[in-house]
Amino acid sequence: MQRFIPARRLLSVTKYYLRRQRRCFSQVAANEVDNNDGFVPKIPSFDYSPPPYTGPSADEILSKRKEYLSPAMFTLYSKPLNIVDGRMQYLFDDKGRRYVDAFGGIATVCCGHCHPHVVEAIVTQTKRLQHSTSLYLNHAISDFAEALANKLPGNLKVVFFTNSGTEANELAMMIARLYTGCHDIISVRNAYHGNASGTMGATAQSNWKFNVIQSGVHHAVSPDPYRGVFGSDGEKYARDVQDLIQFGTSGNIAGFISEAIQGVGGIIELAPGYLPAVYSTIKKAGGLCIADEVQAGFARTGSHFWGFENQGVVPDIVTMAKGIGNGIPLGAVVTTPEIAAVLTRRSYFNTFGGNPVCTAAGLAVLKVIEKEKLQENAFVVGTYLKERLAALKDKYDLIGDVRGRGLMLGVELVSDQKLKTPAKLETVHIMDQMKETGVLVGKGGFYGNVFRITPPLCFTKEDADFLVDAMDYIMGKM
Amino acid sequence: MAMLQRRLLKRTLEEAKARFNFNCYPILSPRASFSTLPSSSATASDDVPPQLPPFDYQPKPYNGPSADEILAKRKKFLGPSLFYYYQKPLNIVEGKMQYLYDESGRRYLDAFAGIVTVSCGHCHPEILNAIVEQSKLLQHATTIYLHHAIADFAEALASKMPGNLKVVYFVNSGSEANELAMLMARLYTGSLGMISLRNAYHGGSSSTIGLTALNTWKYPIPEGEIHHVMNPDPFRGVFGSDATRYAKEVQDHIEYGTSGKVAGFIAETIQGVGGAVELAPGYLKQVYDIVRKAGGVCIADEVQTGFGRTGSHYWGFETQGVIPDIVTMAKGIGNGLPLGAVVTTPEIASVMAQKIQFNTFGGNPVCSAGGLAVLRVIDKEKRQAHCADVGSHLIGRLRSLQDKHDIIGDVRGRGLMVGVELVTDRKEKTPAKAETALLFEKMKELGVLLGKGGLHGNVFRIKPPMCFTKDDADFLVDALDYAMSKL
Repeated sequence: MQRFIPARRLLSVTKYYLRRQRRCFSQVAANEVDNNDGFVPKIPSFDYSPPPYTGPSADEILSKRKEYLSPAMFTLYSKPLNIVDGRMQYLFDDKGRRYVDAFGGIATVCCGHCHPHVVEAIVTQTKRLQHSTSLYLNHAISDFAEALANKLPGNLKVVFFTNSGTEANELAMMIARLYTGCHDIISVRNAYHGNASGTMGATAQSNWKFNVIQSGVHHAVSPDPYRGVFGSDGEKYARDVQDLIQFGTSGNIAGFISEAIQGVGGIIELAPGYLPAVYSTIKKAGGLCIADEVQAGFARTGSHFWGFENQGVVPDIVTMAKGIGNGIPLGAVVTTPEIAAVLTRRSYFNTFGGNPVCTAAGLAVLKVIEKEKLQENAFVVGTYLKERLAALKDKYDLIGDVRGRGLMLGVELVSDQKLKTPAKLETVHIMDQMKETGVLVGKGGFYGNVFRITPPLCFTKEDADFLVDAMDYIMGKM
Repeated sequence: MAMLQRRLLKRTLEEAKARFNFNCYPILSPRASFSTLPSSSATASDDVPPQLPPFDYQPKPYNGPSADEILAKRKKFLGPSLFYYYQKPLNIVEGKMQYLYDESGRRYLDAFAGIVTVSCGHCHPEILNAIVEQSKLLQHATTIYLHHAIADFAEALASKMPGNLKVVYFVNSGSEANELAMLMARLYTGSLGMISLRNAYHGGSSSTIGLTALNTWKYPIPEGEIHHVMNPDPFRGVFGSDATRYAKEVQDHIEYGTSGKVAGFIAETIQGVGGAVELAPGYLKQVYDIVRKAGGVCIADEVQTGFGRTGSHYWGFETQGVIPDIVTMAKGIGNGLPLGAVVTTPEIASVMAQKIQFNTFGGNPVCSAGGLAVLRVIDKEKRQAHCADVGSHLIGRLRSLQDKHDIIGDVRGRGLMVGVELVTDRKEKTPAKAETALLFEKMKELGVLLGKGGLHGNVFRIKPPMCFTKDDADFLVDALDYAMSKL
């Protein structure tokens, strides 16, 4: 009797053997030729050569960084990469070697590095007017605000522009506190919302929290399907929020803030049913619901434009940054006219916020996402990639979990599948090896054992194959 | 002949009287046009509005939405809290050096530089080049990878600093910079109390709102332990220019209002939003001593005064002869790029290594390249000396104007960071709010875009791009003279 082989595994195995037929190896991959099987995954072809680099070397830069920049500034990799050029989903180092950028400058470069339409918008506007402030009129800010508002459901149509995700979340928290007259805000354990005083409070990972006063924040149990105590039962986790309000506050709160998929926390999707239940609780307590879309927004999840749409809710305030400008320093807060009016009590002004260049870039980004159907691509390629990673999970015990949506994916490594012991060292090693093979991934999770895969949304199936094959190759040698 | 001469003399005298009329009429005599071209029907020279200095540049034709369309969209999509200047807001579509252009192609003298931000000049070619070239190579990757732009810029910036100030943190705005400075101060000292000056502006984020001390900008939110000390304001302060008395007040705040130890003290050397108020001479030296004895660190907010603007020195704090522990900057640092920085000593920086602090956009290649180009332009084009030169000319002419018009209560500042405070009564120093608003509009019609500040909105802030010339200064003062004469 024939053994039943899962079709998926058969397909991946067949592909594996087909690729072994390949004769030519990339220039650097040749260094990694394994004498045993002679096969190294090859980076997909790409028709672009960066200009030759004549600037300072990696070592020179490193020594200047040590002297003039924060002592806490870290780099990835044992031998840090000097990245000098970028084009679409690829980055180039100082030797002209190309890498697949599977991290996207931390989920920031959504259209692709130096995407021509976005660069054109930036250059054209920079040559005309970089900055004048919103004290004067300029069409760039109003056009972009309109386009952005049109992407949001409900009555979410007043936009405040800031310069970063931290600024956006700080403003959102302040608005919620002013609107409700309450101070307490609830966020989710393992969340990341920023590094300034209010947002540091909302951020819920000790690595990012300094020993300073962070008042009025309560952290709810993380609805983590993989590690959470209630598995995927969103409603059970939601009860913790109810308890926090009833026992830890006056019963009325300013609001609740969460990411739809925790980014820094290791690509953790909130358990299904969590947000609808929590939003209902928050509303009953008079609070506002803030959706932090800094990483999950702008088509990244593939199935929807915004992360919160995956949970079937409509927040009161939405914050965004990172992908909004394909890398240009820009952030935004969108809320309803009713809530926005709260800022008229005094004056709020952001000097750089909404400047012509950044808003022109933002508008170009929205147009590119639509024209190039990047959301659909994120869905198709992301689904494919996740399937291949899931197949890899079946193959290697080291992979504890594969999760995420669209092109916001996470691979958690454990040294024991049952105990889910974080495989920190292995993660660092594999990440390093991935870079040697030509793939740049990110790292996250409280234990630093999760690969974060958040590439530019122009990522292709070939790129996905290369990524998985590289991971397979490396894990196979361990 | 004699009769003609007598008539001419009579007319000249009458006009001279009108010119020296001290009454301020709230209604302007109707004027048909305020074009920059001299009126052809001029009979006396002071009936002719002053003319913009010539400038050899043609703005591109503008085909975008009109001012009204933009305003309607702003009201709908940007909220009622986004305020703007002027009854009939200006649609500014292009900029070149110290000039701005509206949708009709009309040129204005930008005497406010996008709030002291466009330091080298709108679309300065060298900076433009740096930005464009870098944008084509790599916009963003974050500091988890290496890139030379951030390292080169940090080095260049640090080399501009005295003492042991050489560790640079890049952020995206002044508010972010001051937030970070506060965090550093509290971590380093282990104390909580921060001291800032009344009338200061340090940011609009939740913590910096605490440091900001102007009610217009302060939302009712918890601020933590902040002490707002008496402002050493030579014009309005109760002790005039007596720095020692003001410094004693800081001592009192510490001795009576805190545990005796504080986290830090922060001040602008010339208050910007507060109305170009220069701190009384000798103030910072004394206060820095007091604060350091209380274990606190001294933070200099150079967001507006930095980068040679004061003319006499590169940094505002240098005008007071002190060396701070932390320096924050933004605005002019990138000629308009969203960029901010905090510079401190390695000792203070080391406390930040306890945990992870990361700024995604901070130090990105494009902003760093732009910032480096700014430093080079300021040096190459000797902008600091230029600010001293043009600034003293400007202040000199404004002081003469002060002799002529009673409404000018005070002229102050340094280099190209100048303030003109208007009062209806020189003794009482009653803020001339309405007149300031009126003149503000009038100046725009004449072709000069000023800034406005002070708690009562009665101070003109003159802080142009640092390529502002003596001719521009003359035009500005002439326009002000003209406008005030018509009040």
